[in-house]
Amino acid sequence: MAEESRGVGRLLMGATLILVLIGGIAAWLSLGFYQLPPGRSAVVLRLGAHVYDEPNPGLRWHWPPPIETHEIIEVAKLNMEVFGYRADSAAEPSEQERVEAAMQTSDNNIVHVSFVVQYRIKDAFASRYQLADPLDTLRDAAQASLRDVVGRNTIDDVLSEKRGVVEDESAEILQNVLDDYQSGLQIDAVELQDVQPPPAVRAAFDDVLAAFQDRNRAMNEAEGYANEVLPAARARAIEAVASARGYRDATIAEATGKAARFSALAGEYVKEPEVVRTRLFLETMEEVLPRVNTVIMEPGTGVLPYLPLERSRGDGR
Amino acid sequence: MRRLLIGVVLLAALAVGLIWLGRWNIGPVVITAEDELKIILLLDDPELPGSSIRTEAGLWFRVPIPVISRVITFDKRHQYLNSEPLQIQTRDSERPMIDHYVIWHIADPLRFLESFPNGMQEAARRVDAVVRAEVRKVIGQSTLEEVVTTSRIEIMRQIAELSDESLRDTGVAVADVRINRTELPRTTETNVFARMTTERQRLARKYRAEGDEEGRRIRAEADREARVLVVEATREAEILRGEGDAESARIYAEAHSQAAEFYGFVRRLEAYRKTIGEQTTLVLPPDNEFFELLSRYREGVSASPGPRR
Repeated sequence: MAEESRGVGRLLMGATLILVLIGGIAAWLSLGFYQLPPGRSAVVLRLGAHVYDEPNPGLRWHWPPPIETHEIIEVAKLNMEVFGYRADSAAEPSEQERVEAAMQTSDNNIVHVSFVVQYRIKDAFASRYQLADPLDTLRDAAQASLRDVVGRNTIDDVLSEKRGVVEDESAEILQNVLDDYQSGLQIDAVELQDVQPPPAVRAAFDDVLAAFQDRNRAMNEAEGYANEVLPAARARAIEAVASARGYRDATIAEATGKAARFSALAGEYVKEPEVVRTRLFLETMEEVLPRVNTVIMEPGTGVLPYLPLERSRGDGR
Repeated sequence: MRRLLIGVVLLAALAVGLIWLGRWNIGPVVITAEDELKIILLLDDPELPGSSIRTEAGLWFRVPIPVISRVITFDKRHQYLNSEPLQIQTRDSERPMIDHYVIWHIADPLRFLESFPNGMQEAARRVDAVVRAEVRKVIGQSTLEEVVTTSRIEIMRQIAELSDESLRDTGVAVADVRINRTELPRTTETNVFARMTTERQRLARKYRAEGDEEGRRIRAEADREARVLVVEATREAEILRGEGDAESARIYAEAHSQAAEFYGFVRRLEAYRKTIGEQTTLVLPPDNEFFELLSRYREGVSASPGPRR
């Protein structure tokens, strides 16, 4: 009987042992679970060597440590680094900010630039295991590449037309540099926020804009003058010609009319000369004589004509 | 059977434990992570078979006795080194303040260990010093303009190459040296500002002068054009009037010449109408045509009714 119970006891011990071993193994395996939040990647190393990056969020598993270990990197997050100072911010820029913002242009001018760099981690493994201080490196490399591009453009280009070009070029240069360092960073954008001439010369720069306005204004005013003077002159010209044309037409018409009237009268005269003559003559005298002092005198009467010629009012016949 | 199973499991557990310790260089296993370089030295002699230089990540072995066998770990990654700004005299006697950074890494771990027994900090100081010396040298041979704009890239590349060359024997590789800022000394900056101001003033003057000149030109042009319009119109008007006068004269002449004598008569009558006015005293004999009827009447002839009064 005791042998049997020892046998059962051993069986039980055996079973328990196996259970404990299985439990231990299971417990150890369960250490390989981990939670991967969205927007993150897990860099998985096996015995220290990189095997893969896990991009899919949720409950994940790898061989438990120390066989495999992981590190979680935020990859989706958009990061931003700011450089220089904002001209419209209330505070006066500090010496450090002013120094950070001053850049030289190709025509030996100085311009103050404030800009931001937007970047993401594109390679989780590289960002952790290739470059020791990615953020500090990015800051310095960004300044270097922007100064590089600004140094190849004139101040007028940077202040106005070529802002977009400067942004794109420096983003490209920065990306190349960071890729050379195997930083695993992705530059989304370089944005110029404020580009201003230095405060000491700002007045002179503003005056150039004002002068340009003045120039345009002077030209516009002159155009306005021209737009008044020319139409007025044109109107006068048209009027003079029209009036002359009217005169011409009227004169010709009058002449035509009068000539026709004369010709008609002449026609009558040819038919009845005496009648016409007499009529015309009498008509004329009718009109003329009432106006004048008329004296009718018989010639040869022997009277000594005494004519008070001073008296000319129609009071005697 | 049971003992075999237990034995296997215990061995496995031991292996796992040793691997875990391997990250800290304890025990017979050495685990090198991706960002590490490890040198395993047996009796401080790299030539012995128990020594090894681990440049790739993974598992390796060492003699597990502490003092005799040691493991030194270095950072394998690119190192960023920011250098303090330094003032340098350029070839054209300008004195800018140069701010630069260095990217370097360990190329030869053993040489590195030999050169810098005190580790990374010591190495960083050395790299900084070497690079600064090269910066001073290369920039001292260039003009300020070359440094800032024209030959910027070339200069940085040269500094990196020279530094790399200098440090090669120490096991350090310099990958890049970049100037991230050049600051002009105060006096130069003031001069630059003065020049910028003058240049802008000149530009402003030019714009205003252009505006004046162009404005004047437009006005003068407009005046001239207006004058031309009026003069030409006047001329045309005169021609038209002339045409009118000429044509009407021609019409008159044509009509009058058809009946010249009659015209003479009619015209004289018109002249009488016009010239004989209130001041005129006419002395007429009664046998004047006008009074013909008076005479005839006296002689007793009455033909037509007398002239109306």
